[in-house]
Amino acid sequence: MTKLFLRRLPLIAAGLFLLGPVAGPRLAFAGDASAGKDVFRAECSECHSVREGRNKKGPSLFGIVGRHAGSLPDYRYSDALQQAGWVWTPQKLQWYLSQPSRQANPGTRMKYDGLDDAEQRDDLISFLGTLH
Amino acid sequence: MLSFHPRPTRPRGLASLCALLVLLLLAASSPVQATAAFARQTGSACADCHAAAYGPALTPYGMRFKINGFTETDGEGTKLPLAAQVLAQYSRPARGASTTNLTEADLYVAGRLTDHVGGFVKVEADHQGDGGYATKLSNLDLRYVAHDLKLGGRDLVLGVSVNNNPGFDDPVGALPAPAYLGPPGVSGTLLNPSSPGSLAHRVVGAGVYGFYDALWYAEAGSYRSLSASRQDDLGYPLSGDPGKLSGTGYLRLAWMKDLKRQFFSAGVVALTTRRQRPRSAPTDDITDLGYDLSWQYLGNREHIVQLSYVDILERRHYGSAPLVPGLLAPSHATAHDQVLAATYTFRQSYGISASHLMSTGSRDPVRYGPPGDPATTSNRISLYWTPFGKDDSWTSVANLKLAASWSRFTRFNGRRSNVFGAPPGAPATDASDLDAFFVSASVMF
Repeated sequence: MTKLFLRRLPLIAAGLFLLGPVAGPRLAFAGDASAGKDVFRAECSECHSVREGRNKKGPSLFGIVGRHAGSLPDYRYSDALQQAGWVWTPQKLQWYLSQPSRQANPGTRMKYDGLDDAEQRDDLISFLGTLH
Repeated sequence: MLSFHPRPTRPRGLASLCALLVLLLLAASSPVQATAAFARQTGSACADCHAAAYGPALTPYGMRFKINGFTETDGEGTKLPLAAQVLAQYSRPARGASTTNLTEADLYVAGRLTDHVGGFVKVEADHQGDGGYATKLSNLDLRYVAHDLKLGGRDLVLGVSVNNNPGFDDPVGALPAPAYLGPPGVSGTLLNPSSPGSLAHRVVGAGVYGFYDALWYAEAGSYRSLSASRQDDLGYPLSGDPGKLSGTGYLRLAWMKDLKRQFFSAGVVALTTRRQRPRSAPTDDITDLGYDLSWQYLGNREHIVQLSYVDILERRHYGSAPLVPGLLAPSHATAHDQVLAATYTFRQSYGISASHLMSTGSRDPVRYGPPGDPATTSNRISLYWTPFGKDDSWTSVANLKLAASWSRFTRFNGRRSNVFGAPPGAPATDASDLDAFFVSASVMF
């Protein structure tokens, strides 16, 4: 049994490598999107809309997961965010939302103290991942 | 000091009843501060700033928008800073004829001029008993704000507000002026716009304010009364002139804690002035001191509960006393206003609000008429529906409000019955005769 496993290990590793990009984002959405909707309403909805093309004080969060930072054509971003150069992956959102926004991106106009509760962050990011 | 200045008019009989009903109608028909112009400017929905998507009660986000001088924007160009409201109302008083009227039409100039300058101006046309409309300048609040300052490493907003109603510019909606909710009665404090001789809209002043660390709000300001002729120009009858004010100071300190799902505030307020009323009369020294508490449960905005309590005590040292044979007018007096208000809103569309309003004061048979007790206790209960003004509604930047409201009096002039002291044999008015029921429809766009 052990020999069989060892013989197939390269095959298993290759499979995981190939499936990684597909499975990775799913694993990153560790939260409950339904609970995340409530988190969004409490934490984000005053400044951000989930509707495509609808900007408030902050840009629309429709399609935020996977989007390049500062890339919506119809929203006037701060220079700091336009030059950030990152993509809003689930991991990046985790990092960004876990601290005050002005610490994560000095110069941003966004005023947010951060979300300390890791479970709520997971839920929120899972909800954001549904906005496509 | 005794003098022969005209004795303040004491409410009497049918005329007084009519005057009170007009006051109630105005109070019931103007609880609005939401302006569609702000929603268009910011891209926000009405419901972002107002729990019931129609005002006046502000969410913490709405409070910050106000503190920031109405200047925040979605960055998508200049928006027309105009909005309008039309209100129609069916009124059924306990005593008197029912009426249905287009009660009020309002024009708002509201929004940002620059990154640092914004304002709110309301001009309203009120239905009159003769079928016509009287136009007046209602609330005005013009601001200059310096944002994004730092003090000791903490955020600081500094601003100046020029306004015409002490307390109206306050971000916490607990004080009578911003809440559009003050106890009616024959006495009442200067900070209560429902008081006789109220300062609201008949003064102009400025306050310097600061909001530190998103937690502490402080303001200091001063006011002077407009000349009687200027009040007349702006649509206010001379009979309500608050008199000549001097040495007027306004102070406010509030602690505001926004926890996103809940909000707490506690504050103190003070107003002091030297008043000559009538303008040639000796000077009265008047000082208001008050405190207010508020709590909001916002959660995920599905169920919102808002509670507030405000308690204002006014001390008066009269410079003169009207002479009435056989009666002695006191030279010192107090007036005391208290409001306890509770609102529940479901899905920011359906709501019920209830308030308990008390106006009491020291006994004064000369100024208030025998027996001289100014105590008035009333309640207001309102059910309403605001179908729009949410992110996911047909329109998020305009709204309709349908409301049914009851005004109920349990005590007036210190009495439950014969509140105006009608002589034996004459028709008497009981406190419950001042009750009224209203159904209103208003549109803001």
